[in-house]
Amino acid sequence: MVLREFFNKDVVDLDLDGDGKDDILKELISLLGLDEKSEGILFKMLKRRENLGSTGIGRGIAIPHCRSLVVNRLRVAFGRKKEGVDFKAIDNEPVHYFFLIVAPPLEVSNQYLPVLGKIAQFAKEPDVPQRLGEIEDADAFLDLLEEKAV
Amino acid sequence: MPTGMHNQLEILLEIQDLKAQCEELAAQGSNTRRVQEEEFRLDVDEAVAQLREKIHELEDRLTPAVRQRYDRISKSLHRVVVPAINGLCYGCFVSIPTSVASESGGPGQEQMRTCENCGRFLYVIS
Repeated sequence: MVLREFFNKDVVDLDLDGDGKDDILKELISLLGLDEKSEGILFKMLKRRENLGSTGIGRGIAIPHCRSLVVNRLRVAFGRKKEGVDFKAIDNEPVHYFFLIVAPPLEVSNQYLPVLGKIAQFAKEPDVPQRLGEIEDADAFLDLLEEKAV
Repeated sequence: MPTGMHNQLEILLEIQDLKAQCEELAAQGSNTRRVQEEEFRLDVDEAVAQLREKIHELEDRLTPAVRQRYDRISKSLHRVVVPAINGLCYGCFVSIPTSVASESGGPGQEQMRTCENCGRFLYVIS
């Protein structure tokens, strides 16, 4: 299992508009193509997770995540905000890169935690933050995932 | 707040999602706990306490009728709310009648839908 398998161009937005945590979360959720009521519930759950402690893991990267019944399989998305936003990250630095992960409460394939771990691993690669800042389109993002083979 | 969704169902969904996260975090020695502590520096015990408190708050917001059903189902079944996908209850995997599965009425007119076989509350995913 590699991260590249879970992403496609439709779930990548390299120009997020939001200026705050809530706006960013809503934009990421919108990439999943859920109905309105599901989007609302998912937003609440992601906010609850953020209220426990920020998912900003430092180096400009955050991994908002939760389990929710509104999805019937593991879903992921990636967003970039070049200017960065205050996400209360553990290093207190602005966050530029967002990996969203959502999985149903009961997941037969049990991919949620491995994917979460792999994204954290990917984020720790020394050149990843810089390269995420340089990519120009969704294909380049997918190529980077493929190259890293995490 | 999304329109057209029964408020009680939304509360039930929240409770269930929070319970799922709480159970994963609370399990001593679990990988979830380790990842949350190591990668996100989360105080897991504090997070579990907060989640449990929130779950109780939400349970108190259920109407007596819904709470009664919720308490009854919780005693025997792990999941109180399950998705209904393509006319199938994903709790007991028995087909549900079209009249139950289909959306009804406009905003504010929706009924709480339940599976006639297992009794669970249904969240219809279209």
